[in-house]
Amino acid sequence: MAGIPHDHYEPGTGFEKWLHRRLPIVAVIYDTIMIPTPKNLNWMWIWGIVLMFCLVLQIITGIVLVMHYTPHVDMAFASVEHIMRNVNGGYMLRYLHANGASLFFVAVYLHMFRNLYYGNYKAPREVTYIIGMLIYILMMATAFMGYVLPWGQMSFWGATVITGLFGAVPGVGGAVQQWLLGGPAVDNATLNRFFSLHYLLPFVILGLVIVHIWAFHTTGNNNPTGVEVRRTSKEEAAKDTLPFWPYFVMKDMFALGVVLVLFFAVVGFMPNYLGHPDNYIEANPLATPAHIVPEWYFLPFYAILRAFTADVWIVQIVQFLSFGIIDAKFFGVLAMFGAILVMALVPWLDTSRVRSGRYRPMFKWWYWLLAFDFVLLMWCGAMPAEEPYATISLIASAYWFAYFLVILPVLGVIEKPQPMPATIEEDYLAHHNSPTRMAE
Amino acid sequence: MTLRTKTLTAALALAISAGGALAQDAAAPAPAQQGAGTQQPTEPAATTPAPEGEGVAVPAQAPAAEAGSGETPAGESATAPTQSSEPTSNSAGGELTPMEAPEAPAATVTDGETPAEAPPAEAAPAEAAPAAPAAEPAAEAPAAEAPAAEADDPEQDAGEEAVDAVQVTEGDEAAAPAETTGTVVADERHDDIEGQAEGEEDHGGDHGAAHIEDIAFSFEGPFGKFDQFQLQRGLQVYTEVCAACHGMKFVPIRTLHDDGGPGLPEDQVRAYAANLTPILDPDTGEERARLPTDHFPTVTGDGMGPDLSLMAKARAGFHGPYGTGINQLLKGIGGPEYIHAILTGYTGEEVEQAGTVLYQNTAFPSGYIAMPPPLSDDLVTYEDGTPATVDQMARDVSAFLMWTAEPKLTYRKQVGLVSVLFLIALTSLLYLTNKRLWAPHKGKKQHS
Repeated sequence: MAGIPHDHYEPGTGFEKWLHRRLPIVAVIYDTIMIPTPKNLNWMWIWGIVLMFCLVLQIITGIVLVMHYTPHVDMAFASVEHIMRNVNGGYMLRYLHANGASLFFVAVYLHMFRNLYYGNYKAPREVTYIIGMLIYILMMATAFMGYVLPWGQMSFWGATVITGLFGAVPGVGGAVQQWLLGGPAVDNATLNRFFSLHYLLPFVILGLVIVHIWAFHTTGNNNPTGVEVRRTSKEEAAKDTLPFWPYFVMKDMFALGVVLVLFFAVVGFMPNYLGHPDNYIEANPLATPAHIVPEWYFLPFYAILRAFTADVWIVQIVQFLSFGIIDAKFFGVLAMFGAILVMALVPWLDTSRVRSGRYRPMFKWWYWLLAFDFVLLMWCGAMPAEEPYATISLIASAYWFAYFLVILPVLGVIEKPQPMPATIEEDYLAHHNSPTRMAE
Repeated sequence: MTLRTKTLTAALALAISAGGALAQDAAAPAPAQQGAGTQQPTEPAATTPAPEGEGVAVPAQAPAAEAGSGETPAGESATAPTQSSEPTSNSAGGELTPMEAPEAPAATVTDGETPAEAPPAEAAPAEAAPAAPAAEPAAEAPAAEAPAAEADDPEQDAGEEAVDAVQVTEGDEAAAPAETTGTVVADERHDDIEGQAEGEEDHGGDHGAAHIEDIAFSFEGPFGKFDQFQLQRGLQVYTEVCAACHGMKFVPIRTLHDDGGPGLPEDQVRAYAANLTPILDPDTGEERARLPTDHFPTVTGDGMGPDLSLMAKARAGFHGPYGTGINQLLKGIGGPEYIHAILTGYTGEEVEQAGTVLYQNTAFPSGYIAMPPPLSDDLVTYEDGTPATVDQMARDVSAFLMWTAEPKLTYRKQVGLVSVLFLIALTSLLYLTNKRLWAPHKGKKQHS
C-alpha cells in the first residue's frame, strides 16, 4: 500500500491467470524481486545478502553435520573427530559451519552499525529494526548452543558460565538455571536440549528473516542520504530508484564474491584462527580453564558483563537501594542484557529528525567513538579479568550506555544538521554524471 | 565522503584479513636451529626412588620402546617407508610396542601412599566428585603433565632399559588390563585433567616468560604439505618414546596409509597395528591384536600423559601482541611450535614438589613441567640416516602430531586454494557484469 509505486506482475498466459486467481505466488515473487531500490545505495547495503547466504550455508552444512554427530556427552567429542577424519569432506563441512558462524556475525555487526550510522531504525522502519534485533538475539542463542555441541572444554565451561547468568536472577534464578540445564549442572540433558534447540532456532530465524524482508519491502530501503524515495508517481519514483533485479542482485553478487574469497581463504588456510585451542580438549567437569573466553562475537557483551564488579560505586548504590536484591553478579547480567536492550530501543532514543549521520556533524564523532568502543570492549572481553582491563571495560561499558541513553537523545536537540539533498536523484547525480541527465 | 570512507575502510579490512589468511601458517623465517643447547641431560630424573608401597606390575606401561634405541639391528623399524620387507618380524622383537609385555621387568610401579589415592600433590577440586564416578585419583600436581612417567631418561644408556625409568605412581586403576586396551573410558578424563592443568596457564603464556620459537614447517602456508618422511620419522619418535605414556585414541591406525600423511604401505600398517597393545574386542569380549581399523591405544593411568591426538591444535604457541592473537595471522597458531618448544625447552633444573619431581622448562607456562625430559640425542635411530638430535626429533614428532591433529590438512589447503581461485574468477566476471550493467546509469563523475 504504502510501497513505492512500480509495475506489478500481470499474468499473461492462461495458466498464469489460472494460477494467479488461486495462488498469487508468482506476483509475490515478482514484486519482491522487482522492488524499486534507491539507486544511491552504497557498499554497506550488501550485508543483507551475505547474511542470507550465511543462513542458508549454516542450515545446509548443519543438516549434513547432524547426520554424523552424536549428541551424547560420552560420544559428542569423538563424533566430531569422526566427522573430521572419516566423513567424506567432513572436515570441510565442519570448518565451513564453524567459520560460517563467524562470517554471520561479521556481517550482522556491519549490518547493524550501518543501521546506526544511516538511521535506518527511524520511522517508519522501527518494526524492521526490531525484528532484526530479534533475529540477532536468536542468532546469539543459536551460536552459543552450537558452540556447546563439540563438547570441548570451552563448550562445557562456556555453557556453565552463560547458564550461570540466569542463576544470578534473585529468587527464581536457581530454578530457572536448573530448568535450562535439565539438571544441577551442565551434563547430558543440557547437551541434548541445546542440540535440539540449535537445530530448531535457525528455522525460526528463517521465518523472522522473511518477515524482516516483508517489513522493509513495505517501507522501502533507507539509503545513505536518509531522504525518502518520492512516491507521488511511478515516474518520479523511477528517478530515485532502480529495480532490485538485475541491478542490485548483480551488485550484491559481486560483493558476496569478494566476501567469499576471504571466507574460503580463512576456511582453507586458517580454519582454527577464530576458535579456541582449549576446545580441542574434551570437556572435563573437573578442570576449569584458567580463562573462560567466549567466541569473539560475544566478547563485547561479555566485557560489559564482567565490567560491573562489586567495587564499582554504581553497583554499590544499586545494591544498597535494592536492599541487596541486585548484587554485583545480577547487576552484570542486567548490564549485559541492557546493552542489547538499549540498542533495540534506539528508534525511540534517537531524537534527531535527520536520519543519515552524513548530515549530522556532531553525531559522526560520537558514532565513530561508539564503533571504536565496540572493538575496545571486544578486546577487553578477551583479556583476563584484571587491571587495567577491568577499568577499561568499565569506561567502555559506560560509554556504550551513555551513547544510547544520553548522547543520542541530547544530540537530536542541540545539533544543527547540515543541508540535505531534496531528493535521492539529486544526491545521485551529484556523484554520477548520468547519461540520462546529459540527455536532458 | 562517507560512502568513500566506508568503502575504503572495508576494503582495507578485507585486504588485511586476506593477507593474514594467506600468511596463516606461513612461518616467519625461523632461525634454523635453536634451543638445542638448552637440552641438557638431566639427573636421574625418572629414577625417583620408589617409596615403599607394593610394586604392582602394570602391563601397560613397560616402556620397551627405547630398548632398541641405541643398537637397533639394521632395518628394524616398521616405520621405514622404503622397506616393505617384513617389519613384523623385526618389530616383533618388542621394540615398537611399549605396552606389550605384561610382565616386563621394566615396569616398576610405585604406589605413592595408598593404593587408591594418587600422589600426594593432588588437590582434587571439591566439585570433582559428582562428575567423576570413575574414581580416578583426581588431579595431579597442579602443573603436572605426566608425573615422572616418561620412559626415557636422557641419561640412561639405551641398552639399559627402563628398569627404573618408569616410575608409575600408582592409582587404583592402573593395574587393570582393560585400560591398556583402550576400551575403558571411565578415567579418560584423567588425562584431560593433566592436559588441562597444562593448558590452564597456557593463555597467560604471553605474559609469562614462556618463549616459543617459530619454526618453518613444511605444512605451513597456503601451499603447505606434510613432509611424508618427516611424518614417518615423527611416527618413529612417537612410537619409541612418547607412546609409553601418551595415547592417541582418536587416530585410526589405518590413516597411516593415507595420502597426505605418512603414507606407509598397507602391510606395514597392518604389522604396526599388530604390534600395539591388544584391544578388547567389544563383540567377543576377548583380547585380540589391533587391526588397522582400530585406533591407536588409549593410555591412561597415573603418571601417564594427556592424549596426543589433538595436542597440536589444543595448544597455542603464539598469543601476542597484547593477547590479541593477531600475530597468529603471520606465524600460525603455533601448536607444533609449542610441542617442539616443550621438548627442547628443558633447562636441566628440577624441583620436588609434594612428592612429584617437576622439571624446569622454558616453554611451559608455569615454568616447571612434570614430564621428564623425554628426548636425548640419538635416542632413536632414523632409517633415513637423519641425525637424531633432540631438535630434529622434536621437529619430527611435532610435525607428526600436527598430522594426527589435522590429518586432512593437505586436502583442506588444496580445497581452499581451488575455491579461492575459482571464486576470484567468478568475482571478476561479476565485477565486469555489474560494471556494464550499471554503466548506463552511472556516468563517470565529471570534473568540471
